[in-house]
Amino acid sequence: MDPLKAQFDPVTLAIPFFVLTIILEIALTRFKAVKSHYETKDTMTSLGMGLGSNVAGVLTGGAAVAATVWVWQHRVFDIPMTAIWAWVAIFFLEDLTYYWFHRLSHERRFWWAAHVNHHSSQHYNLSTALRQTWTGGLAGTWALWLPLAFLGFPPAMLAIQKGISLVYQFWIHTEAIGRMPKWFEAVFNTPSHHRVHHARNPRYLDSNYAGILIIWDRLFGTFQPELDEETPRYGIVKNLSSFNILRVAFHEWAGIAKDLAGSRSLREAAGYLFGPPGWSPDGSRDTSATLKAQWAADQAKPNSPDVAA
Amino acid sequence: MDKQFAIQFAGSFAAVALLVALAAWAKIAKPMSPLSEARARALFADEFPGRALDALWVTNDGRGALARSGASALVLCEVGDGYAARHIPWAQAVAASFRDGVLKLDLADVSAPRARLAFDSWPPAGAA
Repeated sequence: MDPLKAQFDPVTLAIPFFVLTIILEIALTRFKAVKSHYETKDTMTSLGMGLGSNVAGVLTGGAAVAATVWVWQHRVFDIPMTAIWAWVAIFFLEDLTYYWFHRLSHERRFWWAAHVNHHSSQHYNLSTALRQTWTGGLAGTWALWLPLAFLGFPPAMLAIQKGISLVYQFWIHTEAIGRMPKWFEAVFNTPSHHRVHHARNPRYLDSNYAGILIIWDRLFGTFQPELDEETPRYGIVKNLSSFNILRVAFHEWAGIAKDLAGSRSLREAAGYLFGPPGWSPDGSRDTSATLKAQWAADQAKPNSPDVAA
Repeated sequence: MDKQFAIQFAGSFAAVALLVALAAWAKIAKPMSPLSEARARALFADEFPGRALDALWVTNDGRGALARSGASALVLCEVGDGYAARHIPWAQAVAASFRDGVLKLDLADVSAPRARLAFDSWPPAGAA
């Protein structure tokens, strides 16, 4: 096996599966066999983002590949692609890396700018899974996987495992599946866990960052189960007012540029770039932490009305 | 871009067109009816938890609403089968352009730059 070039791309191989399962979800919803919703413009935007991310990947992926190969050429160990233990090891290590990549992508604005588009739909269906980033390559989060290449995992192995993770995460973007068996929910990321991740309810914000294994969220304190009494409301804290695909892809970058232009100090600029999404110098904007704190405070009040009648 | 990628892209483009057409045919968006005052209040409560509404106006077409909450104007607009909400200073909302039954609000936000709300008149009496 060529350690530099993957023999196959799991994502490319899975494209027919993606198409067929979306057709199935639409058909089952149409005939009322499952609960789901598809809005035409929203679907077009999600799938258009998926198509565009392929092109963006070709345009910006070269640097990531070159860096991975260069680091691997300076590796510590020789890890054979033919060893089963190596595939078991990369399964866990890649998934752990994904957890931290995903957490960073939510908790720091620079990387959120590249990831927010995936959360910008107010729907949660299989087409949402394909609402992928156009700017992830530029944001440089691929560097988080370089330590695995430095350890000695061949670039081809990394590419295949990353593809497997992405394909796994497709099927969990659905409301058509309620809950999986308890043992499965305990170990794996599931539609239920990921619905919580896509929810904008304050209680659910910044949780369930898992790729394949939910164990990382349980381990690092970011796990939040889906609660029957709180139905997820999907989207982002401040939903977009249009389906314009360029606005979906770049709105947070434009927001960062606008804030940087108005910055009065390096500290402010750093806060706008690397603070949590919603950070502002005077604290006048909402972050996930302030929204969660406000929600918790409201819950603590006896008989607190949300809105005066 | 090589030939293989071009073929794959063309195939994916065709698949996207098929899926979008299928979604349009299925008519399975969330059911939307014109906003009632109660529904608008519930949506504002979700969007701005803890904010008391001093006054509320639902648009003529039921596709949006505007509420006063202290010194803020809370704005709600229909987007597809969902909503987007923002808040701006109340004074800005009062002074916004109103022509031919449409209130045009500058929301000063890249992700939701403007809102257009249909009212009979604006600003409401005694609003300032």
